[in-house]
Amino acid sequence: MNNDIPLNWFLYFAAASFAIGLVGVMLRRNAIAVLMAIEIILNAANVNLVAFWRYGTPAPGSGPLPGVILAILVITVAAAEVAVGIGLILLCYRRWRVADVDRYDTMSG
Amino acid sequence: MASILFLVIAAIGLATALGTVLSRNLVRAGLYLVAFFFAIACLFVLLEAEFLAAIQVLVYIGAVAILLMFGIMLTRDTLGDDTTAIPVGWMIPGLFGGLCVFTVLAVGINNSIAPSGWTPWSGTTSRPSIIKQESDPEPAWVAERREAVNDMGRVIGVELMTRYVVAFELAGLLLTAALVGAIALAHRADSAPKPPRSVEQAAGSGPGADPPSEAGEPVASSLSP
Repeated sequence: MNNDIPLNWFLYFAAASFAIGLVGVMLRRNAIAVLMAIEIILNAANVNLVAFWRYGTPAPGSGPLPGVILAILVITVAAAEVAVGIGLILLCYRRWRVADVDRYDTMSG
Repeated sequence: MASILFLVIAAIGLATALGTVLSRNLVRAGLYLVAFFFAIACLFVLLEAEFLAAIQVLVYIGAVAILLMFGIMLTRDTLGDDTTAIPVGWMIPGLFGGLCVFTVLAVGINNSIAPSGWTPWSGTTSRPSIIKQESDPEPAWVAERREAVNDMGRVIGVELMTRYVVAFELAGLLLTAALVGAIALAHRADSAPKPPRSVEQAAGSGPGADPPSEAGEPVASSLSP
């Protein structure tokens, strides 16, 4: 096909999303907002996985769907991470009455 | 046509990602995040992974975004709303750092560096077709992948049960551990025993009502060390 989307475009989109998510992790002070930025980063990684699966030549013996399976596992890990993260944030909120990651400084010297 | 579609979806995705990161209102940031997830699902459709797009909508928009909304709802800041604002002094270094990361990644993408013996992957513009061409012969993996793309739900199930069964079991173990961990974290550790609902009920219920409370106590105490 001639007028296909280049693989580059997906990679540039994923890199830009990753950078935006990283900026969010660095800048935001609310713990929930940090979790949202982490979700953006994981989604950017998923786009990369699926794009390389669709465009690339698979390694011998890797089956028909290696990238998609890995993306599904990443989604699973992200769901588990959000569940535990929300539990941790609620616990910290109950203890310090604030959702600001700068105030969680009990272990700072 | 597909290129224009991709550009529109990518623009929406990047704009909503920026909105998620920079929005001051947390609920608005959550809604931007839902739009970003949907743009990612659209990209999966463009990459011919429709099953993954459905999973994305179900898991991310249906579960993760709602969970984040509940988190926002339950952690209203009582000391003022200043935690959601980004300090102006941090904005410039943060955006500069993000731009630097993107520049490094873009140089890596653009450079078309490949190991010897491999074709450079960076300029790839054509993907193996998912429509069978009768004319030209194709390698075996193209036919295998075409069947997988056209019947993705079944092939993913078969692959998860055969080739990736260890990873599948590990994911199940991880989900179970996350469930137990989330419950253990969110469980309110009350050391004081609960008072009975009313004195008459506790006194007049007799021995018939005692065993449930007796059975309930050791579980609660063992969960709260």
